[in-house]
Amino acid sequence: MGRDSFEITVNIVKMFAIFLLMVQAVPILVWLERRGSAFIQNRTGPNRVGPLGLIQLLADAVKFLFKQPFMPERGVAPLYYFAPIAALIPGALALNAIPLSTPIKIEPFEMLGQMWGPYTFLFQGYDIGIGIVFILGISSLGVYSILLAGWGSSNKYSLMGAVRGAAQGISYELALSLALVGILMVYGTLSFKEIVDAQAGPLTFMAFGKEYVIGALPNWGIFYQPLGALIFFAATFAEANRLPFDLPEAEGELVAGFHTEYAGFSLLLFYIGEYGHMMVASALLATFYFGGYSIPFVSPEAVNAFWLAKVDGANTAAILTAVTHHLSLLVRVALFLWIFIHVRWTLPRFRYDQLMSLGWKTMLPWALANVVVTAIWLWLGHRT
Amino acid sequence: MNSVLPASASLIPVLILTLILLAFGTVIIVGTSLLGPKNKKNNRAQMMPYECGIPGIDTTDSKISIKFYLTAILFILFDIEIIFMYPWAIKFMDSIKDGTGGYMLGAMGLFVVLFVVGLVWEVKSKALDWN
Amino acid sequence: MTADSLLFFILAAMTVGSALVVILASNPIFCSLALAMAMISVAGIFASLNAWFVAGVQLIVYAGAVMVLFVMVLMLFDLKDEVRAFSRGLVSGFFKIASVAVIGGVIAAAVWMSTETIFSTAPAAPTVNATVATKQLADLLFKKYLFSFEAMGALLLIIAIGAVALSRIEGGTHADK
Repeated sequence: MGRDSFEITVNIVKMFAIFLLMVQAVPILVWLERRGSAFIQNRTGPNRVGPLGLIQLLADAVKFLFKQPFMPERGVAPLYYFAPIAALIPGALALNAIPLSTPIKIEPFEMLGQMWGPYTFLFQGYDIGIGIVFILGISSLGVYSILLAGWGSSNKYSLMGAVRGAAQGISYELALSLALVGILMVYGTLSFKEIVDAQAGPLTFMAFGKEYVIGALPNWGIFYQPLGALIFFAATFAEANRLPFDLPEAEGELVAGFHTEYAGFSLLLFYIGEYGHMMVASALLATFYFGGYSIPFVSPEAVNAFWLAKVDGANTAAILTAVTHHLSLLVRVALFLWIFIHVRWTLPRFRYDQLMSLGWKTMLPWALANVVVTAIWLWLGHRT
Repeated sequence: MNSVLPASASLIPVLILTLILLAFGTVIIVGTSLLGPKNKKNNRAQMMPYECGIPGIDTTDSKISIKFYLTAILFILFDIEIIFMYPWAIKFMDSIKDGTGGYMLGAMGLFVVLFVVGLVWEVKSKALDWN
Repeated sequence: MTADSLLFFILAAMTVGSALVVILASNPIFCSLALAMAMISVAGIFASLNAWFVAGVQLIVYAGAVMVLFVMVLMLFDLKDEVRAFSRGLVSGFFKIASVAVIGGVIAAAVWMSTETIFSTAPAAPTVNATVATKQLADLLFKKYLFSFEAMGALLLIIAIGAVALSRIEGGTHADK
């Protein structure tokens, strides 16, 4: 956690800040989603409150705060009230385990008449050595929030939505975790940082014992695992219960699915969880397949040297380096989030049997084929 | 990565963050119930479970297809098989370099054959079909 | 008290506390949720012992898969009669007392047999990189215990076939007609 009070404070504030990053992204994403869907459907969208309707979601949040909270008469109070809180946990815990930028090295400095440092602050909540498995484990707990909400509401629509959601979530988790096996084979590590480091430089691959370098392309995972990336991205749509996989909330049949009986801010907590899940999925996709926070062809040392020449003070330069890399990651995350939104408003919803057969009969076999082909390719390429 | 921190260095932050999240959620739930209007009249129609325009039917334990259980059981089995591929996957590149790559490929190959046999059998037996 | 021992006591308290809820709560849903909580805490204990991969497996397989199945099954059955069947009657009273005696004996024996180790100060476990530790696990699993590993694959296949066969017996919702 830290050796002195300054380090401990910074580490705790950092975790909460990453959580707030997730929370504050929700109004922006909801605004983007409403404006985006309006754009796609040739409508105007929210445009009255503030410039371009930007304040709309702030107004909505205030309204949510003053809504009457109530539980249906036969609901199970502990589960009904705990479910929206539980919806926050997987997303926030997972987002904190992903490295969002380079570590910040702080030289000793003076504050309040005392010398502090040196420190190394990671640009992530905590560095769990087994990062990938930790995130898989944490996100597999997301099902509980759906099940609790469904059962705690004592409503048959909620319950059916919850059961559908749980069955769908676990079905696509198979394809998702199998798609990651390919990445693990290529990089041979469970740590996010090592995966990001391995993606530096130009594209280099081994085929039949010879090394080939393609200078024009960055050394990203997508070039080693194109099918894995596709399966991973598609499976995260299903995990986040987004269209075209939003059967748990299918309005036509199930009203609103597992959160039928929720209103006001507790409904918003479910939305924070859902958008948090999308952010985690986008950050993971960027980390595994698109170089993470690295900037193509530019090393972190070069960025640091650039900032050292611009500003005075090694600490400021280190912070600016980390912020630059963080922006590099955020660009990718924003792009993937937009794909999430665009897909929602352009593809029709699956039928439930199509959804299950896509997960079990199409994506799982293809993910398995991806593992087999990757294994044989690596073996042929690196065999000595 | 030779200097490794003890496990508590990353687990205690996880626990602290979980506590922060629980506190945040509780404050929101309690806060909205204080801020929002109170239900003084004990409005029965409002408190009834939601139903689409007809009087609510008194049932929460409706029959759910056994397919859901079957899906969950099959998920557990395949999940265990996949999780065993993880240590193999991170070891594979090292094994190729020290010359035991073919052995590792064979070891996992047999396992994957069993996996595929299971999957093909599930598909053939129509256990994964939903109508 | 070091951070490691503090962590252990927190996790141990969480495990024991949620395990107590499992046996004390009368609503089966709460029992299964508490069991899931106990699984998560045990995963934390594994992680604090640097058994990171085992902790991950505990989290993914037990907390994320097995307990989800339990919760799902319990949510879809009406279990009011079962609650009564297990809380009344002479036979169930006998079983309650018998199981208390058995568990009490197990705990007493565990304390008795571990008195020597409880009060000794063992050296702290060496901290290892999680990826390196998982690679060592892979070495053991795929070289020394390869036969057990493949046998487990065959066992899982048999379970998969058995589960489907069971779901098709007469009276099931999709039995062969």
